[in-house]
Parts: sequence; C-alpha cells; structure tokens
Amino acid sequence: MRANVWSGRNTVQVENVPDPKILNDRDAIVKITSTAICGSDLHLYDGYVPTMERGDILGHEFMGEVVEVGKGVGKLHVGDRVVVPFPIACGDCWACRHELYSVCENSNPNAGMAEKMFGHSTAGIFGYSHLTGGYAGGQAEYARVPFADVGPIKIEDDLPDEQVLFLSDIFPTGYMGAEFCEIQGGEVIAVFGAGPVGQFAIASAVMLGAERIIAIDQYAYRLDMARNKAGATDVINFAEDPDIVEQLKELTGGRGPDAVIDAVGMEAAHGHGVVHAVDRVKQAARSESDRGHALRDAILACRPGGIVSVIGVYGGLLDKFPSGAFMNKGLTMKSGQCHVQRYLAPLYEHIRNGDIDPSFVVTHRLPLGEAPNGYETFKHKQDECVKVVLKP
Amino acid sequence: MKLHAAITVLRPRDEVQRLWQDPALHPRYLDEIDARVTFDPAPGDRGTEIHVTLEHDAPGGKVGKAVAKVRGAMPRAKAMDELRRFKQRVETGVIVRSDGSPEGERAERKLDQRPAQPLHENELAEAGAS
Repeated sequence: MRANVWSGRNTVQVENVPDPKILNDRDAIVKITSTAICGSDLHLYDGYVPTMERGDILGHEFMGEVVEVGKGVGKLHVGDRVVVPFPIACGDCWACRHELYSVCENSNPNAGMAEKMFGHSTAGIFGYSHLTGGYAGGQAEYARVPFADVGPIKIEDDLPDEQVLFLSDIFPTGYMGAEFCEIQGGEVIAVFGAGPVGQFAIASAVMLGAERIIAIDQYAYRLDMARNKAGATDVINFAEDPDIVEQLKELTGGRGPDAVIDAVGMEAAHGHGVVHAVDRVKQAARSESDRGHALRDAILACRPGGIVSVIGVYGGLLDKFPSGAFMNKGLTMKSGQCHVQRYLAPLYEHIRNGDIDPSFVVTHRLPLGEAPNGYETFKHKQDECVKVVLKP
Repeated sequence: MKLHAAITVLRPRDEVQRLWQDPALHPRYLDEIDARVTFDPAPGDRGTEIHVTLEHDAPGGKVGKAVAKVRGAMPRAKAMDELRRFKQRVETGVIVRSDGSPEGERAERKLDQRPAQPLHENELAEAGAS
C-alpha cells in the first residue's frame, strides 16, 4: 500500500510499504477513506519529539471501512464504517475502566521507554513516535487497529466523512479542554491558539454555555474563522499587540478570564524579549524542548482561583514556569491527551442533531500522494491553511 | 544489593496468584534469575500489587554498588517486560504488539526499533505474531 512516512527533520514522503496484517485476535484492519494532518504531526515533522525512526508512517486522525477483523473482535464487522480514536486503549485496565483512555496501562509496548521520559507510560498512539508505542499511523491506504472493540465508533448514517472525521481527535480534544473549564454559564473563557483544536475548544465552550470567548492568535484569517464559524465573541491578534496578558485584563474589567485554554502547546510562536531568547538558545542546543509562551501567559492572565486547561501538546521540559503566579493565585491546572473514547458517543450525537458541523475547519483537500505539500502548507500557514484532509 | 520491580494487575489476589502459576502465563525469566515474588492487595478497587526483588551480589564500597547497578539494569528491565506481559495477558487476553515492537514489550527492542510500518511476511513468524 501507499503511506506517508517520516524521513528526517522537516521531510515526509509517500512510499510503498507492506499492507498491515492482523497481529492479535483483538485487531481489525481498516481501509482508510479520509485522514487528516494534525497540528501535533508538526511536532514530529519538526523533530521536536524524540524517538522517531525513518520510515515511520504518520497520522492519527483517520476513518474508513473495516475490511478484516481478528477472531476476538465482536462488535465490529467487515463493511462497517468507522472513525478511529487516536489513543489506543485496551478497555480492561484500571485507567480504561475509569474512562482515562489516553493513559491506558497496556496499549504501549514501549512502556519502558515512556517511563524514562515521563515517569510512567501513557497509551499507545497511532503514528506518533516510538515513545507512544511505535504504531504505524493512518496517513495511508490501510491501518491496523488494535483493541478494535474499544476504540472505533460506527457511523450508521450517511453523514459525509468530513463531518465525522474529527471525532478521531480535534473535536473531542477541544471539547475536553472546554469541559475542564467547569462552565456553569456566564464565564469568560480565553483560548490561546485558533488552530483546529482551538476552533473546537471555542465551539465547545459555546455549546457548554460560556458567555464570552476570547480567541488569541497571530493570523487574522484564523481569528476570522474563530469569530464567524466557531463562535468567539472577541479576538486578540498578538501580531498587532504582543502584550496578551494586558489585553485580556482590559477585556475583562481587570479580572482576567475565568478559565484559559492553552490550545497551542510547544509550537508557541508569540514569545518576545529575554525569556524568548533564552528559549531559542536552549532549544537550539536541545536542552529545552518545549516553547512555553502560551502556557506562561495563560497562567499570568487567568483570574485568581481560575482554571488553566492545557490541551496543547508538550513533549519534554520547559524553563521559566511561572510557579509563583500559579501558586499564589490559587489556580487549578488540568491537562491531558484527550480520552477520546469517552466523548465519541455524545459528540457524534451533537453532530447528528446538527448542533455543530465540524467540517467548518477544513480548508484544504488533497490526495494522499500530496501529503508532503500538505505538511509544508500547514506548517507555514500558507494559503490561509487551517486543516488539511488527505484522500488515499 | 537489591533491585525492585513492581506492577499492579486489576484482579483479586487469589486470582492473580492462581494465574501466576498457570504454565501458559507464568513468567519463566523470573525463575531463571531467582527473583523473590510477593503479592499484596492494592488499596480500594485497584487490584493486586506484584513485587519482584532481584538479589545482586555486590562487592563492597561505592564502586561495587555502581557496578551492580549497571549489571542489574538489564535483568530489572527484563523483569519489567515479564510483568507487563503478564498484566496484558491477564487483563486484555493478548500481548500488545506494535509495528516498532512486534514481539511486544522487550528491553532489547528499546534501542533497536523497527520503523512504524507493517511487517513483511517473513517477519511475522519471527515476532511470534502469525
């Protein structure tokens, strides 16, 4: 089959590789009909995540048709149309039983590697370095899906791929970020990053009843989407004025937002001044892996007693963590890779009810063979790119 | 010098102890290295803790300890592999395999990962996955 593989820093290419096979009774093979490039794929592309190997198939947002099932699979059948969640979860361990699917205790066969980095292992993830298992990803014609009874959700109606594809990651991820904010009604929520996950965090905060939602980005076209499609009430373009914390205070009568969502992670671009210079030097020397401007500003901007919700991806270590602000303001921080399996059924229902049409983020549609162009366009925000969908 | 490895399995203690003796599941490597194994109930609904203690002959002094630590690193990592496989098979019924680690968790694989792309036919049997 053909697949998009990582072949070194800032390089991907579409190659012929063997077709996937059933390796376990609980596996299924899915013929992929749509697959997307995620912002977190850029962390791998850039080389900010260790444990990548040349030839790794990328991609963790995909859907398609079941073409083969192992003999231990009961719920899925050949011909079923499914969306596959990005974390691989066994469904049987203590974490899965408590709906903490992205920290499944069994699905990462490189747990020993992850323990060295993070203290504990987290779940396996498709196409997302060897630290999360070394699983082939979904930017390909076919994928092997382990624990097929636990993850994939069957799509029973004729909604087009683009309306349900993002159940695999970015819609639930944004939703979990908004849910962390404990919205009761009347809150002001600030969302750092108007990329695809930020757009869904905004749209989810609207669904959960926030009164005002402030989108923060440096690209006017993304802020336009946030306001016109996702439902942001205010926007801050830090390309025009870099002092985000001060602007958030102005917009909230000096209080600060009740909760702040970091939908940026280690790709943060808005740093300035001495701290930014220190980050750049340390990153060049690979002694600091995460650029943390979004997280630092989120902590400084959040109102005392508020919540900082971290759904942007971090992979390593960060300097200049504002621990004084975090502690003295009495903030709560919540974080995690999304427990996608927990959100699939309710969010699918929202789509079916017409509460949201997630396809609003799609700006680019390309054949799988053009994946390398897709990565470049997305990385450099060319052509007003927000989300690239690939068709195998 | 003692090295320790531990894992928690989501089953009651009597069931874990019974399955531990099942020849199909029993981690043989731990017999080879003469490890001491104990089973304790975990708090609340968390199952059973399996504790493995590996004894290492260590010559005296700081240097001796350092040598033993390095020499013990591989046995400890392999003991953890065995514990993880046991947990996977008891909790999920399968050994978890990826393209990068097709045999499942294996200390020797950590620095020798396959690329994350599907196996060729001839690799399947070798990985014990066919």
